[in-house]
Amino acid sequence: MHNRWTLVTTWFLLSATGQAVAGGGPPSSDTTLLEDGEKIYQQYCASCHGIEGEGMPNWERQNAQGELPAPPHGPEGHTWKHSDAMLYRIVSEGWRDPWNKTERLTMPAFKEILTPAETRDVVNYLKTLWTPEQRRHQAEESEGAPFPAQSE
Amino acid sequence: MKNIASRFLHALSLASLVVASLGIVGVAGAAEEALPSLSYDQTGERLLKVDSHQLFQSINGGETWREIPLPEEGKEGRVVTAAVPATAEKALYIAGPSIGVQRSTDHGESWHEVDEGLPSQDVIAFTVHRNQPETLYAVVVDDGLYQSEDAGKSWKKMDSGPTQTIRRLLHSDMEGSMQTGWLYAVSDDAVRLSMDCFCGWRPTGELDAGRVYDVAYDLDDPERVYVTTDQGLWRSDNGGQEWQRVNGDGTEKVALTLAPAGTLYALDRDGELMRSEDQGQTWTIADA
Ligand code: HEC
Repeated sequence: MHNRWTLVTTWFLLSATGQAVAGGGPPSSDTTLLEDGEKIYQQYCASCHGIEGEGMPNWERQNAQGELPAPPHGPEGHTWKHSDAMLYRIVSEGWRDPWNKTERLTMPAFKEILTPAETRDVVNYLKTLWTPEQRRHQAEESEGAPFPAQSE
Repeated sequence: MKNIASRFLHALSLASLVVASLGIVGVAGAAEEALPSLSYDQTGERLLKVDSHQLFQSINGGETWREIPLPEEGKEGRVVTAAVPATAEKALYIAGPSIGVQRSTDHGESWHEVDEGLPSQDVIAFTVHRNQPETLYAVVVDDGLYQSEDAGKSWKKMDSGPTQTIRRLLHSDMEGSMQTGWLYAVSDDAVRLSMDCFCGWRPTGELDAGRVYDVAYDLDDPERVYVTTDQGLWRSDNGGQEWQRVNGDGTEKVALTLAPAGTLYALDRDGELMRSEDQGQTWTIADA
């Protein structure tokens, strides 16, 4: 679990590489937003993706039900390959792998549960789990595909 | 003669996303067997073939072939692939170890390197996005997969790729991707698949068939995919989740492509073209 100082340091690294996370506001409010994001993560996401974002065991293979388990969000996963727009969409609308043997959304849709701002905060929190290199890659991918405007 | 020439020019002017996933000539430095490669340019309605370090096109289903000039380096024998984007652009791309990625907009009269943003010119596989003519994918040996979204002006590393060396790469617009489509990667041992967000390689269905050579999908029905192997042809009706063996004629096919209406074309090791209209069960020599 990340403490305040980790968050502050991470915020510093993010802004140092020119990618201030929540855009706009002064440092203290960015840090607060990341803390909000972490709270949301622990409350709504950690049960499947792990307290530290470690994902489920054998997440790369379908389980006995023929479903892909929840993947990790850290450097070993591929959350960082998605743009802000895509991450927002995944959390908001949910997702299932098209090769799953079941039809249900294994990644639940959170649009009835989280506000647009909360959705954005939790996605920004996920970024603290990546390497600086991955954050840079993802920030570039997000240039043409940012968070939707209503999440501002 | 005049007629052929004008049909030729017509075909070329139509050329849109010609991703002629032509052959692979092996890895830089390694004296590897150069297999011919084949692709279909939907807009130009032509077949593109790379064979013995030469590039050919046919606008009559392989009855006759016409050579497209390659750059000097290409003649020295390292063109792995030719490809044409599928829309509105008269670009023809070639790629291969030591030639990098080059582009011609005048039917091969002149070639321009578009690989400055790549770390090396040792490109061992290449493909063009199915619907985005400026989106290109190149595999650099011992490095990984690069993407360009501006027709080769700039490149970005997207992934280090599966652990097995990629021999052929093919973009598909099959549904279900988180992004815009999928990439099939053929290695000697298997066909693997990734969404074009590069968010994870997945194996395709069990395929215990020796060496795998090439993959192709039906342009009108992208879930229908064929793969050719040491032990013949296999077909999938669900994008590669499961493969069924096609009881073909037993001839070896090392390159494969599909034209509209499900016509399958294949090359044998000598670059001889075969055609099948019944999903690979019977084949005829195209120029017989
Ligand atoms: C009920 C379990 C569950 C919960 C709760 C859950 N997820 Fe997921 N999540 C999944 C599964 C399973 C997948 C993989 C879906 C697939 O690809 O088939 C996934 C995928 C994702 C992905 C895509 C990752 C990638 O690498 O492609 C993101 C991003 C994500 N979840 C974020 C979240 C966030 C943020 C929350 C909390 C707001 C959350 N998830 C809550 C199960 C869950």
